[in-house]
Amino acid sequence: MNNIHPYEKELQQYALDKSDSNPEVIAHIELCPDCKAEISTYQMLFSEIKEQPAAAFDFDLRELVLSKLPKTQTRLSTDDIIAGFLIVFTCSCIGIPVYVFRKIILNTFIDIPPIFIYSIIISTTGILIIEILSLYKKYIKQMHLLNFN
Amino acid sequence: MNNTTGNNPADKHLVDRVLRGDTRAFGIIIKNTENLVAQIVFKMIPIAEDRKDLAQDIYMKTFHNLAGFKFQSKLSTWIAQIAYNSCLSWIEKKKLMLPGNLQEDEEMYETTEARIYNNIAVGSYSENLLSQKELSGILRNEIERLPAIYQTLITLFHHESMRYEELCQITGLPEGTVKSSLFRARKMLKENLLSKYQKEAL
Repeated sequence: MNNIHPYEKELQQYALDKSDSNPEVIAHIELCPDCKAEISTYQMLFSEIKEQPAAAFDFDLRELVLSKLPKTQTRLSTDDIIAGFLIVFTCSCIGIPVYVFRKIILNTFIDIPPIFIYSIIISTTGILIIEILSLYKKYIKQMHLLNFN
Repeated sequence: MNNTTGNNPADKHLVDRVLRGDTRAFGIIIKNTENLVAQIVFKMIPIAEDRKDLAQDIYMKTFHNLAGFKFQSKLSTWIAQIAYNSCLSWIEKKKLMLPGNLQEDEEMYETTEARIYNNIAVGSYSENLLSQKELSGILRNEIERLPAIYQTLITLFHHESMRYEELCQITGLPEGTVKSSLFRARKMLKENLLSKYQKEAL
């Protein structure tokens, strides 16, 4: 064992993260009761600092700051305008042909056996429910990530 | 606090919402960062009444400068930097002394150091005589006696688990200075605590 005690800096480094220490320092500390006692003191100190209660403001900072900010003015972004346009366009693409060809569409369903229609409705509803549930789970996960809860 | 760069999608989303005029999103930013800001303000500002105005001032500055935030760091680190600089300006404006006068502490440090080594030499160091609560109280007092910058660095490094580069960014100090300040702060704290521990134990 090297008989020279490590510098204080090296003791702190060992107490913080042994893997970052010089092998000679590690070898000395492991066989030196005085250095081990120093290390224990530092480790106790670090753990006590970690356990200290965190400082906290005794007033509602959010409320205080938000009351001073200019009132919410949610203006439409380009993304919002594009999304709105796409919704209107999609509804028009589906709605107009359905309205124009409504009689033909209705006639096609008259000749289909009811059991076939029911099976289509049930499977479509099932898929829709699964999709909605997965979307909801994703939404909850993202909201949790953003701390909106 | 592992990510030191600003690539946090949640932060980006929140900043984008605030910039689009959604002040509710700014409320979420406050909620996410106020503990870190409190840690800095409490360590730097000794007058409790001033902390309220200062905390408000920090977030008003954050709000007005948010468009200039380029995500080169984490949002919380950037806000902590604003908090630290605001505290320094506040101290300068109010012509306050930083809590824990450095010169006084250096003198106290020398005396304590000599006393501790004497005690260790005669083998009077005793263990486990203080309860966890007492020890925690003594440590809190000892931290409060450190110079403000030491208190802040110790708290951010050990309590908030921040990395050296984040501390450099917040305080604007070079890495070498941050490391040596932390080293001295830990040493002072250890020796002051050992001294107090023995006093209590005897």
